[in-house]
Amino acid sequence: MKAFFKIAFRNLWKRKVFSFLNIAGLSIALCVCFLIFQYISFESDYDNFHVKGDRIYRVSTDIKTPTDKLVWPSTPSGIVPRMKQEFPEIESQVRLMYRSFLFRKDDKKFQEDETLCVDSSFFSLFSFPLLKGDTKKALSDPLSVILTETAAKKYFGSADPMGQTLLFSNENLNMKVTGVMKDFPLNSHFRSDLLVSMATMEKFDSTMNSNFGGFNCVAYILLKKGTDPQKLAAKLPAFTERNWGKQLNEYKMRYTFYLERLEDLYMRSDREAWENGSITNVYIFSTVAVFILLLACINFINLTTARAAERSKEVGVRKVTGATRPQLIRQFLGESVLVCILSFVFSLLLITFARTLFNDLSGKTISEGIFQHGGQVLLLLLVSAAIGLLAGIYPAFVLSGFKPISVLKGRFVSGRSGTLLRKTLVISQFTISIALIVCTLIAYKQLNFMQSQNTGFKKEQMLVVEARGDSHMAAFINEVKNVPGVISSCVSSGVPDGSGVDVALSVLENNHGDMQTGSMEVYFVSHNFLKQYQIPIIAGRDFSMDLHTDSTEAMIVNECTLKEYGYISAKEAIGKKFEQWGRKGQIIGVVKDFHNNTLQKPIKPLSLRLQGQYFGLVSLSVAADGTQNTVQSVQKVWEKLIPYRPFDYYFLDDKFNEHYRGDARFGKLFLYFSSLAIFISCLGLLGLSSYSTFQRTKEIGIRKVLGASVTRIVSLLTKEFFILVLISFVIATPLAWYAMHKWLQDYAYRIEIHWWVFMLSGLLALFIALFTVSFQAVKAAVANPVKSLRTE
Amino acid sequence: MTMIKIENLEKIYRTEEIETVALNKISFEINNGEFVAIMGPSGCGKSTLLNIIGLLDDLDGGSFIFNGTEVSKFNERKRAEMRKHNIGFVFQSFNLIDELTVFENVELPLIYTGVGTAERKRMVDEVLDRIQIAHRRNHYPQQLSGGQQQRVAVARAVVNKPKLILADEPTGNLDSRNGNDVMQLLTDLNEQGTTIIMVTHSEHDARYTHRIINMLDGQIVTQNIKI
Repeated sequence: MKAFFKIAFRNLWKRKVFSFLNIAGLSIALCVCFLIFQYISFESDYDNFHVKGDRIYRVSTDIKTPTDKLVWPSTPSGIVPRMKQEFPEIESQVRLMYRSFLFRKDDKKFQEDETLCVDSSFFSLFSFPLLKGDTKKALSDPLSVILTETAAKKYFGSADPMGQTLLFSNENLNMKVTGVMKDFPLNSHFRSDLLVSMATMEKFDSTMNSNFGGFNCVAYILLKKGTDPQKLAAKLPAFTERNWGKQLNEYKMRYTFYLERLEDLYMRSDREAWENGSITNVYIFSTVAVFILLLACINFINLTTARAAERSKEVGVRKVTGATRPQLIRQFLGESVLVCILSFVFSLLLITFARTLFNDLSGKTISEGIFQHGGQVLLLLLVSAAIGLLAGIYPAFVLSGFKPISVLKGRFVSGRSGTLLRKTLVISQFTISIALIVCTLIAYKQLNFMQSQNTGFKKEQMLVVEARGDSHMAAFINEVKNVPGVISSCVSSGVPDGSGVDVALSVLENNHGDMQTGSMEVYFVSHNFLKQYQIPIIAGRDFSMDLHTDSTEAMIVNECTLKEYGYISAKEAIGKKFEQWGRKGQIIGVVKDFHNNTLQKPIKPLSLRLQGQYFGLVSLSVAADGTQNTVQSVQKVWEKLIPYRPFDYYFLDDKFNEHYRGDARFGKLFLYFSSLAIFISCLGLLGLSSYSTFQRTKEIGIRKVLGASVTRIVSLLTKEFFILVLISFVIATPLAWYAMHKWLQDYAYRIEIHWWVFMLSGLLALFIALFTVSFQAVKAAVANPVKSLRTE
Repeated sequence: MTMIKIENLEKIYRTEEIETVALNKISFEINNGEFVAIMGPSGCGKSTLLNIIGLLDDLDGGSFIFNGTEVSKFNERKRAEMRKHNIGFVFQSFNLIDELTVFENVELPLIYTGVGTAERKRMVDEVLDRIQIAHRRNHYPQQLSGGQQQRVAVARAVVNKPKLILADEPTGNLDSRNGNDVMQLLTDLNEQGTTIIMVTHSEHDARYTHRIINMLDGQIVTQNIKI
């Protein structure tokens, strides 16, 4: 055994460059696979820690209107309490709402945008440990709040928060701390630092338990043991008809309730909730991991069999001195496993450094430390050893099969089938690499397209202040207009980055004169909103301060609405009736469509109305010069007039670009993976070219003696690789086209896939390949022919 | 006593289009303790014959009895087993493993015959002393001269105390002084009882032997010539 290790290490050391290439390739592949495995494990383990998880279901809703079908994860807040009353199969239920509330303690003030309002039954369904407080009572009363450890530290420092109070909202209500819980784990689809009792919401809204029209909460039910969820689900249509059939018929609507398994919500639900994973991404990452590992294994086989020629004499001597084939196979397999285990060790080092980059790429803190999951590290070690065995089998059999009399006479000739296999492997590597390059180019093109697309509104130099409808907002606006650098201002419930957009079931008069129900996105805006955001009106007029009816009876719609209601021209829509959220009136104007969301999503029917009570955001158009000073001045005004609220602001173009962060990460991911793939493929190519050159030493010597120039010899040696890359290109092109064509379908606005992307990818791969093999080719071409012929 | 008895031995190399008769029904015997040279022009089949005697290659016809055992029908595994216990090889180009030291190169046959560590050390030390190369035990082949390398190769060939040594042009890559040293070494081994068959082009080296077998075109032309 000692001798085995000695020989193995000496062999590795003797061929340092190849050993390095082999180990580097495998280490990188193992590192990538480990991190991806952690990602997949993390994503797949969402919400799997709840003890009763197999009996918890989310109640989701499909809403069918005459023109539309909406697929939502939420339900009206009155639905599940009624379900619990009528179905004995339901053991318990809980409703959750995310709200943004202002909390203050002494001089600390925070706008908590992710405050969760929950029923008191929350802890009887979900397994979140309560460090202090009684799970049965902590959320029973109004104005009760449970803090996470992070929130407790934030507001109370090291003091015990139990029984203490926080000032709640700008109405200075005292919210009592009734519990402290551990922070929500990373693999929970709930994310909050404060849990407020639903009784608080009921105190301010007495219709909470009877509401069936506003989809304002996400509700979960806990089924009794032994309950068949499908049988329960089958009873829900009759339940809906029984309780709300008449009202729904009036509005020509239908509700269909669905039960979704808790453990499926994050990855498999297609209903957009607070945090959704993507099974597609898991598949993509898994595929990439397999590809990268495959490339590294192909490399290993290629480099080892290429080096086989160099070890042929050793094999011959060993056989002559008595080694049997099984003994040699064991020796070479052992060396292969040793290389893989060394690669495993180096991969651990790489993981340590790559962790941060990976967390950044994935957008989550997945990997907190290698040894956090000892089981996974052990698995990686076993995988490494298995790779050593699997990848080492072919080279071991090849090497141990050499005939001693041939190799010892220097007449080593590898079989043709060995060369064919190596070429096939290189073709596979370059097919994968070219496909990844294509994917990277297209991903970046799409990202560029989205970021440079005209969104239809002004987003540059637009400072958005989150005023949250504060009672002093009007005073703030009046004063901030005078700040140097502020050009204009407006207020609204939402701004065109997707923030604050509500969706309302609206009834509009269609082109036949019928009142038609549909869903519409809603902005509540001030008079100058359209002017400030430079959104053009294509028919009718803007809101007028001179017409007081505009504030109650006027609506402006977008072009997309016209199609929905059958209007051929924008002018046709002017004067048509609407009903929305208790208001009735007429359409006074039509604006050009603008992208109020990322280009992943299509533009939807949109309405704008004047209704001051919903304003929450102040938009300030600021001058490009001295922006920072302007912001500071605005902040001073805020702190003077609204000192009890934190000054939260952002620039609209930055926020808009944040939406593309996921896509930018995706693009970066493909960039890294395609670079890796090319790098590893080049390692394999280096091995193959080295082997090929070695095989042709005699031929090169003879050609040189007969007068061949260096250039001719280099082109002779590189020609075969040119053909390999060409074949790879032909295979990769349709595969990459298909994959990216499918990926682009997720985007409502997308680029065309042009032919030159494939051409560029192929040329790039070809250039890199030829550059790689040219080292060996030039080295062989300039060698002294006497040396290469002397062996004969 | 006869160690090797070969009768009507045939070896034919076939490709798709060409059939080459490398050995054409040759017959001869070699006794224990003989020192025999096989000579002939290039391509006459002497190396092929040596490979067959050394159980490195199989035959296409005839009979080959080695130490009383018919080996002509042996498969590769049986040939390897017979070879490692009975035959040592010395090659023209030494064929030492560059990654192993002198000691480790000589030790190699003992590892493959399953000799224990302590016994291996003893046997290797003994043979290195005998061959007078012990002072280089920890050196690598590339640190030795040609003559020294060939002495190491001879040490490796005899460490297992084989009955037969096959030497294929053992002095082919050596100058005359080193060549003489190696030939003397082989002679000493032969005098100690080891049977040696040597392929050579050198008449000078052939003089060290008891008998010369001359070959031409795959056939034995003359043998039993004593010098």
